[in-house]
Amino acid sequence: MVSIKNLTFYYSGSDKPALRDINLEIGDGEFVLLTGPSGGGKSSLCRCLNGLIPHFYGGKITGRVGVNGLDVTKHSTKELATMVGMVFQDPENQLVAMDVDSELAFGLENLAFAKEVIARRVEEALDTVGIVSLRHRATSELSGGEKQRVAIASVLALYPDILVLDEPTSELDPKGAEDVLNVVERLNDELGITVILVEHRLDRVVAHSDRVIVLEKGMITADGGPRSILSDGRISQSGVGIPPIIKLAQAVKSKGNLIDNTPLTVKEGRIALAKTLRHSKPFASRHSEHPSLSLRAEGVAIPRPFAIAHGDNKGPVIASPFYGIASETKQSHLKPLIEVKNLWHAYPDGFVALKGINLKVCPGEFVAIMGRNASGKTTLVKHFNGLLKPTKGDVILGDINTKEATVAELSRKVGYVFQNPNDHLFCDTVEEELAFTLNNLGVKSEEAKPLINRTLERFGLMQYRYQYPRFLSGGEKQRVALASILVAQPQVIILDEPTRGMEYRLKAELMKFLDQYRREGRAVILVTQDVEIAAEFSDRVVLLSEGKIVVDGPRREVLSRALLFSPQINRLAQALKSYGVSGDILTAEEMIEALK
Amino acid sequence: MVSYKYSDKGTGIHRLNPWCKLAWIAGVCILALLFDSPVYLLLLSLSTLPVILAARVWKEWLSVMKFAFFLCLLIIVVNALVSNQGSHVLYQFPFAIPIAGAPRITLEGILWGVGNSLRLLAIISAFTVLMFAIHPDDLMLAMVKAKLPYKSVMVTSLSTKFVPALIDDAQRIADGKKSRGLELDKGGRIQRVKSYASIAIPLLSNSLDRAVQVAEAMESRAFGSGQKRTFYKELKLSKGDITILSFVFSSIAFGIFLRCLGQGGYQYYPVVEAVSLTASEWAMLFVLLLLVNTMPILALLKRKVSLG
Repeated sequence: MVSIKNLTFYYSGSDKPALRDINLEIGDGEFVLLTGPSGGGKSSLCRCLNGLIPHFYGGKITGRVGVNGLDVTKHSTKELATMVGMVFQDPENQLVAMDVDSELAFGLENLAFAKEVIARRVEEALDTVGIVSLRHRATSELSGGEKQRVAIASVLALYPDILVLDEPTSELDPKGAEDVLNVVERLNDELGITVILVEHRLDRVVAHSDRVIVLEKGMITADGGPRSILSDGRISQSGVGIPPIIKLAQAVKSKGNLIDNTPLTVKEGRIALAKTLRHSKPFASRHSEHPSLSLRAEGVAIPRPFAIAHGDNKGPVIASPFYGIASETKQSHLKPLIEVKNLWHAYPDGFVALKGINLKVCPGEFVAIMGRNASGKTTLVKHFNGLLKPTKGDVILGDINTKEATVAELSRKVGYVFQNPNDHLFCDTVEEELAFTLNNLGVKSEEAKPLINRTLERFGLMQYRYQYPRFLSGGEKQRVALASILVAQPQVIILDEPTRGMEYRLKAELMKFLDQYRREGRAVILVTQDVEIAAEFSDRVVLLSEGKIVVDGPRREVLSRALLFSPQINRLAQALKSYGVSGDILTAEEMIEALK
Repeated sequence: MVSYKYSDKGTGIHRLNPWCKLAWIAGVCILALLFDSPVYLLLLSLSTLPVILAARVWKEWLSVMKFAFFLCLLIIVVNALVSNQGSHVLYQFPFAIPIAGAPRITLEGILWGVGNSLRLLAIISAFTVLMFAIHPDDLMLAMVKAKLPYKSVMVTSLSTKFVPALIDDAQRIADGKKSRGLELDKGGRIQRVKSYASIAIPLLSNSLDRAVQVAEAMESRAFGSGQKRTFYKELKLSKGDITILSFVFSSIAFGIFLRCLGQGGYQYYPVVEAVSLTASEWAMLFVLLLLVNTMPILALLKRKVSLG
């Protein structure tokens, strides 16, 4: 089906190969998960499969890429369109027609199929992907997840043998991502279409894949079944996030306990871990001497059986006096940095996005604001620096009411980082990018110099100081964007979906910066749909729904009692309650600690 | 907020074959250019309203008309100031311009502006139907059938599709810059140009990225495969459509006939004419406007029938 031999590829004008000596055979009906750090060559490899490389991009290519026996260098992308269907990352930029059925017909029209054939295939594609209800909708009105499913259907109408999806979920919310991945899995299961999927969210898809391939620096560094690849320690070094369940299984194994196979799903984890717990009697009874750490069978009845369950907010490692006030916010003696009083917001079109929000954010807090799409998250945080003004109610920043100040004035106190660093960056050098912010805020250049130096140092950007920011890698760009905000040392920093589509290593790096920042007595507000990130790094979670705060409390309380917004490990912990595991464990590290 | 985007409101006008709507728009434009009498032009402008109402696009129409109104005001003022002809002098400027002579404002000059504004309003009003009640894909298809090159038509259609995305982009980038303390409307002219550059640069490079991505996606779906393209949707004319079309054409023919009879003419200069229509002229004009309005009436009926 796909046969790649000694493939090496250079983009034009680059002296570093994007792909280096790739050898790969992919058989009929395989489900291949392609992963690796960003810049590793995943997208380039995808683009070789339908001839976008070299026909569209140019560059220097050696070796052979064969698809169904055809050499892609000798056949154009258009000829390959009926064999290889490509779905791209950004749902906005791959739909070209005004409504859904025209979109599905587009490829078939280009290939001059007869009208009757087009009608039949459009019908089939709508049914196969399960989007019949969308057929007459305007593509611009669809949600991201719906757009991606339309994109899948639109290539499916060409009857491809292979479906290549280049990070199809990285721009989507969890629900949209789930819908898209369900479709992909079904196409593979039921129609036997070969799937090559580039994906960061391994936890969701790894169980379904037949094979995992890791690409680093343009080379294949691992290739094999998901269990063997993921239980191999090397993969985590490549920056790919190991699903928490597998992390846990490895830890259990390394303690010398038996655990069946490598569990890939919550279900497998549940079964395997239950078995381990049942069979290691000494393992359990050893701990029954310490009631607070007990794993006794009646553990459910014991309130807060683990120290970590209530102690994490006052952890001994934390030195800063500001740290760890999250759970006591309500009775905090500190003056809040942000105070929201009965905030309502209606957009000019009449849509009421916020309905009576009350909220306080104090120094040292790390608040995650979560909720479905269009629940009012972004609308809420845009009030914090005055980008939006209340329709009713007040937002008070220290002593300033945001109604009486401009965004520029508020930007001294509140920094706001938007999701896409490309929207931020425009200067010729990284240094100028930081200077721009300070200049706007009226900081004199002699005072600005040390500030810039310190910030560049802190974000590890010294070496890039004179480089053009837009040419940096994704993670570096994000860092420059963050540095350009933090150089002004705002008391509050807001990040809107900063981790969407980011690989784990970069996420963790970003969170480390933020954690450090809040320990200096400032507040971090994170708008996110990433449950695992909220579980690992925030200390307070505010859950919004339809413009109202549904829950506001310590992350452990909020996330362990949610159905949709609960991390993988928590679902496992919930299921293992009868073995005395506390139901409010959120991360693999906590679970490992608890099982010691 | 009015969005300048097509949205399918499902009315009889939206469902109607685009050729009928295009013919109707062409008809209104021809009639507006044919007649000079302000009475005819006023009534013609008003007789576009039933279509706007039937298509439920009056909000969009109103916002376009606000703009058109300012344009008309400009025409009237400029013409009054520039036009020297006309015998009823309302105001004589106390100075003279070499060659042009002493400028003055005349009743005729103002009325000419008003009359031509009515003409413009009729045409703009008809074009709102094109913007808001014809599906862009249908319009594209109609243009291709009219033998315009497919690729150019596709590019035009794509660029209109991405305008809203561009506006969102600009808004987001501006928000980002404001959050970094930028005050867009502060400082001297050079400072302001610099401020706007900080938005224009990311906007431009984002758009270029977008263009490459769209091109890639189109290429992957065999765009421009060299074969002669087929079209999934067709603009087949039903019997009802042909009836509507024939009414639209008869309104144009009838208008030309009236004009040949010497009706609907008007003279502004040198002395403004009195507007007086005979009973038979009124009757003929009424018939003409009725013909113009058969399109919305039949379209609504057709919708009723097809639903029933």
